[in-house]
Order: sequence, then C-alpha cells, then structure tokens
Amino acid sequence: MTISRKCVPFTPFERELSKSTIAIVSAGGVHLKDQEPFNIADELGDLGFREIPQDVESSQLMVTHHHYDHSDADRDINVVFPIDVLRDLQAEGFIGGIAKKHIGYMGYTMQLKAMYEGTAREIANDIDKTSRADAVVLTGG
Amino acid sequence: MKGIPTILITVSPEVSAQMRPPRALYPKGFKIGNSLGRPGMRDLQKNVLSDALELLRKNTRPGEIITIEYLEYGEQYEPPHVKTPR
Repeated sequence: MTISRKCVPFTPFERELSKSTIAIVSAGGVHLKDQEPFNIADELGDLGFREIPQDVESSQLMVTHHHYDHSDADRDINVVFPIDVLRDLQAEGFIGGIAKKHIGYMGYTMQLKAMYEGTAREIANDIDKTSRADAVVLTGG
Repeated sequence: MKGIPTILITVSPEVSAQMRPPRALYPKGFKIGNSLGRPGMRDLQKNVLSDALELLRKNTRPGEIITIEYLEYGEQYEPPHVKTPR
C-alpha cells in the first residue's frame, strides 16, 4: 500500500467549539446490543454501518470486531466511542451539543474500493443530512 | 459549504498517514483498542478528546498527524509499522 495520491479533503472549521455540535464516527465495530452484529465470519469484512442515536446509554453499546483486542472497550466503550466523554464536555460548555446521530462500522475490509466509494460516502451523507453535526470525531479501534 | 470537518484520533499513525487524513491526533504510545485511553480513566479520555477537538481550530497541515504524549496513560506501546516493499 502506498500513500494516497488523492487530494486531502480538508474542510475548514471556523466555528466556536462551545457553539458546535459533535458527532462520533467509529471504525471500532461499535453498535447497539439490539442491532445486528457486524459479520465477522465474512473474510472480506462487513461493509455495513450502524446508526447510533443521540440519547444512547453507553451500557447499550457493544463491539463486534475481530481484528483488534476490544476487551478494554467491553469494559468501557468510551475508549473507542467517547459518548460519555462528549457529554462531559458538553456539560462543561466546552462543546455546544451532541449530534442527533453517530455511526459505528467495522474498520476492516479487503474491499477498499467499495469501502471508500460506497460505505464512506453513505456514512458522510448520512451524517451530513441528518445528524446536524458541525464536526465529526473519527476513531478506530 | 460542502463537507464536514473531521478530526481523527489514531493509535496507528503510520497506517493512518497513508490515507492522509485532513486532521489527526496520535496519543503517543496508546495501544490499539485504547484510542481515548484506558477504561475508566475519564479525565485522560477527556483530555484526549478536548485536545482532538481543539485541533479542529488549529492551523494544522492537511494530512499531518499531531503527536501528543499523555504521561498519565502509563506503559506505552509500539504502534504498528507499515512494511515498505523491497
């Protein structure tokens, strides 16, 4: 694999953080316990993603991902999906709000083109159109 | 304006750098699975997340990964390295 030669898709951020709404998009395989788990049996990886609602309790979340050790995330989901940490920062006035929606997906794939041109665009559109986020924190495992 | 500003928190900086993320933070020595720190270390998690969010407003170079050390994390780990073709 070589360094991407694509132009870096840099979007300026000129707002005050204290007036900004933040979303989380995590490649750490995070999803709600009552959502369909990611398909770790598929050796090519699972190209799907799961929407996680604004008011989610961290105890409702879990990880399905077999390409990193998520035992720490099993104890405290905030190590890969910092929803409670965001809420702390909101309570302190550091950020303005929590987005209406967050996203979890499984950041392992042998189908890079489909991930880059399909899943990633779908996630970006979903966040852009429905989460009301001013900025996004991306996390991996 | 089209596009959403993003900040990536990565514990695999060499791997992430290949994709040239617009903005990225590498908390030095954090192991894979500990992007924000260790379980229950809420103050550390908050420091990492607030540092990441502040990078949104800093004049970083697109594609550059900013390394910050957090001594309170404790034992550090070597991140995965990218194999260069011979």
